[in-house]
Amino acid sequence: MDRPKPEPNAAPFIHAHPTTESAAASSTAPELAGLLTHEDVDRALDRWQVSQARREGRRSKRFGGLRVLWLLIGPGVLVFLGENDAPSMLSYSADGARYGIGFFIPFVILTFVMGFIVQEMTVRLGAVTHRGHAELIFDRFGKFWGFFAMGDLVFGNFLTLVTEFIGVRAGLGFFGIPPVVAVVGALVIVAGAITTGRYWTWERITLALAIFNGLFIPAAILARPNWHSVGHALLTWMPLPSGSHYEILLLILATIGATVTPWMLFFQQSAVVDKGMQPRDINAGRFDTILGVVLASVCAIAAILATAPLFHHGIDASNFQGAQFAEALEPWIGHTGAALFALGIFEAGIVAAIAISTSSAYAFGEVLQTGHSLNRPLRDAWPFYLVLLGSAAAAAALVLIPRFPLEFVVLTVNVIAVLAMPPALAFLLLLVNDREVMGEYVNGTWANVAGVTVTVLLICAGIGFGLATVFPKLLGG
Amino acid sequence: MKRELEPNIEPIIVTGEQPHLEDPRVVLSLLEADQVVAAKERMRFGRQKLSGGVRAMLWGLRIYVVVMLVIVFISVLRAIQAAH
Repeated sequence: MDRPKPEPNAAPFIHAHPTTESAAASSTAPELAGLLTHEDVDRALDRWQVSQARREGRRSKRFGGLRVLWLLIGPGVLVFLGENDAPSMLSYSADGARYGIGFFIPFVILTFVMGFIVQEMTVRLGAVTHRGHAELIFDRFGKFWGFFAMGDLVFGNFLTLVTEFIGVRAGLGFFGIPPVVAVVGALVIVAGAITTGRYWTWERITLALAIFNGLFIPAAILARPNWHSVGHALLTWMPLPSGSHYEILLLILATIGATVTPWMLFFQQSAVVDKGMQPRDINAGRFDTILGVVLASVCAIAAILATAPLFHHGIDASNFQGAQFAEALEPWIGHTGAALFALGIFEAGIVAAIAISTSSAYAFGEVLQTGHSLNRPLRDAWPFYLVLLGSAAAAAALVLIPRFPLEFVVLTVNVIAVLAMPPALAFLLLLVNDREVMGEYVNGTWANVAGVTVTVLLICAGIGFGLATVFPKLLGG
Repeated sequence: MKRELEPNIEPIIVTGEQPHLEDPRVVLSLLEADQVVAAKERMRFGRQKLSGGVRAMLWGLRIYVVVMLVIVFISVLRAIQAAH
């Protein structure tokens, strides 16, 4: 069902505006009917399932909404479990190993609240405009600002992808699997997920993989945490971390970067569009995002609790990476606990590799106005799939280069994510307050207060880090 | 897909078993007007006129990112030197 190419002297672009009008009722319906694509048909099938579930839901009142939610969850859970990626889980592990149960547990929850505030806006943007984030930035702010935003995204995404494969290599390294086998195997999984030519199938496969982020929970239980201390930390944010102020600041920045990053904005909005969500689905999208926040924050706290024994036994974890955490934990949480931890790092890497490479491919397709949907067959949208797999393959190849400074990448990736976030948030806030784009779904006052607060906090954290680096004596470090 | 269509498309309510998605009317009834790929390609949100304040903010944030990236580079060099 290939769409004919537009005629050379076709009419110029028509100014779009937000609408919930049915395509069949629109004035262009007769023309559109002849231009339908495979992507439209797949999306229509997804919409039909949602409308069927809603009808059934109205009939059986008690559990009626559950099937609707089951159909509409996906982008929010994926974005947050995807962001619980290898460097993030290692940041949380470093929090636990170096400072134990205390300040970082409630702080992680705060960062997830910040994550919810910004991701909810992308749900609305996607459901109302049916456009991806990169596409809207280019349309509304032009190429000049668009390429800056894309530059931040591509640079950050590629560095992050490299760290995901470091996580894959390190996680499987615990079981004695050679790096080449681990990395190639991970690439095969990424490729396998996208060969379905169907967004829905891709989403369910990736969600099934993402659930294994929960491996950190039994690892935490095996560490036998002091639940009284956990409750005390949650209520009082105490004890505060002590030691080098510079290192604490760096870890705070890395922990924020483990939850709030530019790729998440681009990914969730594009996924909401690809899923075919409409304004009437916004509440379900919010639920999906909250579910993602809850699941991911529980797993993040579990990583802190699992590594807290290293702090209590005075083990220096300042230079630990990947499987070294699992190996160091073995005497205290046993081989099973350590194996669960290593598998968790592998899973975190693989799910994030799928989500981040998809985010790059969506943005690329939106900017170049080529096919950019997982509902498109390979032959119809090969540049989209090429970027998706190509970026993952390039990152995987770097990890295998002997003496490549992996340490450099792991150190910087989360910090760079935080530093690149304020401009991304500025574009997000401008778009979500743009009545021409959002219509009645523009941000309310509280959403703006929350969004601006998050942006200011991130800028302050970045400036604090900058001052501490340039003037180390300022913080006594 | 059949391309001979009535001049006006009547929206149809899709109920019951598997929908007949080979019928364009069914597909169009399930999607919003600006959700169809062809419609999205033709209809675009035009450029927003940026005020001086917004421009200044965007430039400020851009400079912030560049300066911070330089600082990150310095800090990583220091960390690598310290490690070796």
